[in-house]
Amino acid sequence: MTLALSIGILVAGGVFMLLQRGMIRIVLGFIMLSHAVNLLLMSAGVTSRRDAPLMDTADPATAADPLPQAFVLTAIVIAFAITIYMLTLAVARSDDDTEDPS
Amino acid sequence: MILPVLLGVLVVAVAATPLLDRGLGRNAGWVLAGVFGTLAAVVGAQGPAVLGRGETLEFFVPWMPTIDVGLHLRLDGTSWLFAMLVLGVGALVMAYSTRYFPPGRRTGFYALMTAFAVAMLGLVLADDVVVMFVFWELTTICSFLLIGLSGESANRPAVRTFILTGLGGLALLAAVVMLMVNAGTSRLSTILAVTDWQASPGWSVAVALLVILAAFTKSAQFPFHYWLPDAMAASTPVSTYLHAATMVKAGIYLLMRFTPVFGDFPLWNVLLIGTGLVTAFIGALFALQRTDLKELLAYSTVSQLGLLVAIIGVGTPYALAAAGVHTLAHALFKASLFMLMGVVDTRNGTRDIRQLPGLWRAMPATATLMTIAALSMAGIPPLLGFVSKEAILDAMLGLPGEPWVGVLVALGAVAASALTFAYSFRMVYGAFGGTPGTAKHGEAGPSYLLAPAVTALSGLVLAFALPVLDPLVDRLVLDTTGTAHESHLALWHGFNLPLLLSAIVIGLGAVLAWQRVAVDRVLDRQLVPVQGTQVFEGAYRGVIAAGVRIGRLTASNAPAPYLAAILLTLGGTAIAVTLGRPEVPAQPEPTTRPTDWLLVALILVAVTAVVVTRSRLAAVALVGVAGFAVALWFLLLGGFDLALTQLLVEILTVVVAVLVLRRLPRTFHPTPRARRLGAGVVAVIMGVAAGLAAFSLTGRREMSPASEYFLRNAEEDTGGTNVVNTILVDFRALDTLGELTVLGVTGLIIIGVLESARLNHGRLPEKVAGFAQNVVFSARENSLIMRTVARGLGPVLALLSLYLLLRGHSAPGGGFIAALVGGAGFALAYLAAPAAARARIRLPYPRLIAAGIAVAGASGILGYLEGSFLRPLHLDIPLPGDGYYHFTTALVFDVGVYLAVIGVLLTALNRLGTEDDIHAEEPLGPWAESTDEDDPDAEDETNDEIDEGTAAEPDLASPKGGRR
Repeated sequence: MTLALSIGILVAGGVFMLLQRGMIRIVLGFIMLSHAVNLLLMSAGVTSRRDAPLMDTADPATAADPLPQAFVLTAIVIAFAITIYMLTLAVARSDDDTEDPS
Repeated sequence: MILPVLLGVLVVAVAATPLLDRGLGRNAGWVLAGVFGTLAAVVGAQGPAVLGRGETLEFFVPWMPTIDVGLHLRLDGTSWLFAMLVLGVGALVMAYSTRYFPPGRRTGFYALMTAFAVAMLGLVLADDVVVMFVFWELTTICSFLLIGLSGESANRPAVRTFILTGLGGLALLAAVVMLMVNAGTSRLSTILAVTDWQASPGWSVAVALLVILAAFTKSAQFPFHYWLPDAMAASTPVSTYLHAATMVKAGIYLLMRFTPVFGDFPLWNVLLIGTGLVTAFIGALFALQRTDLKELLAYSTVSQLGLLVAIIGVGTPYALAAAGVHTLAHALFKASLFMLMGVVDTRNGTRDIRQLPGLWRAMPATATLMTIAALSMAGIPPLLGFVSKEAILDAMLGLPGEPWVGVLVALGAVAASALTFAYSFRMVYGAFGGTPGTAKHGEAGPSYLLAPAVTALSGLVLAFALPVLDPLVDRLVLDTTGTAHESHLALWHGFNLPLLLSAIVIGLGAVLAWQRVAVDRVLDRQLVPVQGTQVFEGAYRGVIAAGVRIGRLTASNAPAPYLAAILLTLGGTAIAVTLGRPEVPAQPEPTTRPTDWLLVALILVAVTAVVVTRSRLAAVALVGVAGFAVALWFLLLGGFDLALTQLLVEILTVVVAVLVLRRLPRTFHPTPRARRLGAGVVAVIMGVAAGLAAFSLTGRREMSPASEYFLRNAEEDTGGTNVVNTILVDFRALDTLGELTVLGVTGLIIIGVLESARLNHGRLPEKVAGFAQNVVFSARENSLIMRTVARGLGPVLALLSLYLLLRGHSAPGGGFIAALVGGAGFALAYLAAPAAARARIRLPYPRLIAAGIAVAGASGILGYLEGSFLRPLHLDIPLPGDGYYHFTTALVFDVGVYLAVIGVLLTALNRLGTEDDIHAEEPLGPWAESTDEDDPDAEDETNDEIDEGTAAEPDLASPKGGRR
């Protein structure tokens, strides 16, 4: 429930920013969307178990689902790479306006 | 084992061509001819087994056994014939090339010709339709590149040829998929055995048409025939090898291969015979029009291929026998003619029969050989061409069904053959007959004439050794029709109908040759209103124009309309599904905890503020707040590594964003109220859809078996206790390697973008100039605290980063986190630097990225020691005293991750952080100029310090260090 709410809020904010004018806002929207998707990936696992999956201390019966974590770890880094790429595009050549000034 | 060796040797030969070429220049062709010749001998040595005893050589390497994909090779009689042509003619053309070209290097040519041989040999040996398709496409690509070698004027012909034959390739792909799905395997021999065209007529029509389309485009059948003359833009060796002897026979091979399935399918018979005869006739007619010897030969090839297609269409054992013999005969005489035409061309500087003098006396050897080959093409005894043509006429007369149909078909072939006789005469007489003259460069030497002599004389010798061919023909008939056949090829079969037809061919042809002046007068005009190349170009332009028109319907220069359309569709679909009230299982355990609500509130506040604010800087910071909240979420959910990574990424995103923001206006572009409203509606729809979907579709099941496995076995399998990290570097390392590559590519793209487009200056100069006199805005003074902190913190961060890297396998850490910590150190160094020029990090970051991917890939290759890519190796290194250090190549992999991530971070800092040239040239204030001139030792010191990840500033103590 809380996770779903967080996802909904982030998606709404991300989509709103995505539809604005200017690359920076698009990038910020993209960042929020990727947050939402990462949380969605987490919620696809078993979120009722929340012990860190460090097996020198954790019990396999209560440890959190490691698979979505591995996915999300990868996704965070890729989203970061794409973010800095998009930020580069925002300042390459001219300012970050994405529409004809009319 | 022979079959893969054949391909392997050729691949090695391709790789060796640059070396051979460097040492031998054009004479590298002799070495390649030797290789091809040896391989031909090896294949030839299989003749007794394959042809005589009816054996079939097979070879199989499994690749993906679960979906039945592997390299199946198979050598039966049909493959044997075509493999011999590929290797034999290949050897001769390679030898010929050494004299055709002027002295000098020919790397691209030899490499591509050999690569083509690999593709063509693979095509005829493949016993897997997917592999066959791949080789088929490779021949198309090689043809494209080889035509393109001839320079600027060959560009369009190369493209036209490529697109047309590529189109046929797509048809073949579709056919291959349909056959595979139907037969449940990609094994060609199995498909041929189990496919029955009668089982499902509609399906058979589709597959047959696709196969026919593929074969017709490749083998230049009407109406696709025009590409072959067009492709004559290529050099003569290429035309000889690809466009006369082998590649254009790929279509013939394909038709022969599918005869077992479609040989008695009426559609197949009608289409092949009809199109084949039309092609044979018009090809011959056009050939009779040409004055350019090469064009004449190209149309002649079109015509001969038509004849082959027609006879395969007949489909009887006799017909396939005739097709086999004529394939061989045609390869021999056409290769000779092309090569000799090339000799005439290079020796005289022209190949136009109107400009060539009577060369009979000047080039007697060339003339003799060309006459022999032309006689074979014209179907004159005692040459192989006569035998094959008579076999064709005989088989056509034996067409199943009404006898008059067979006679009609045979008469069509007679007409084409009579024209063949006429253009054969026209070619030889045009080149050598008439008033005697001298060749510009005299007669060609023996080494130049060797290859065409072999092919031309083979046609003569074989005609007297016909029994040698009988086993080949019998085996080919067995392969293609499943019928045992006893062939008795002979020059003389007694007085019969085929002999009469042959006589008619020769008689008619002789009349046409005799009345050549009148014939020329009739043909000296445009016979058809359109030219194939023009039709092609028209269609080509039309397709592109249509695409432009369709694109324009929705085109906009702003991304928002596109995104809104996509998002609305998605959100609408989601809501429609929700309205249908899908049933979802109950949650097995509660997934919500009271503390979670704090995070929901935090996210709500941050996101609302982001949406409302107009300041860019504030928006970036607020998105950062949302990011921190998400990091806390990860922490609550038990994702230690995730939370760490997310925090570090947030920090670094802010650093990069700040570098970017200072080049942009302070506030966002204004957006009208209506637009904000519209975006708000879409946003709410999407937010509700995403929230609903997340609530109703997730958190309603037990742990997945994979997760369960990882939790219970990760430590035992990998020696690491941090399960998430073991998944990244041990279990799913290939995913991580892919991710790494994406990351590296991003770094390179950033470099590429900024190399081609200068950074926006934005408000930089204006701002700095305006505040230049104020101490607070002096970079040097202002960064004092930061520098002091960085001096102490830098080494700590470096060590911490290393420590996190090493321990990542068993505790929170790992390559990503370690690299992000290290990157934060670099960012600190960058931000603390008093001027941009000093902040520049001189590490070769593109190489770091490359090294990272290379290290990770290399550790993956090490895995082959234990049987598979990226499998980690383990080694317990004894430590002094008691105990062991558990070393695993997963750590090496993680080092690769580390290097690549650091490289990308440095790319962003350096490329986005550097000042533009303007700043370097125009110092903006008293503090800004102290960067370089004032500190003679600053250059080299900066270098070392930044490399260590610290930003200590020794010149603070320098007397010239600036005003305090």
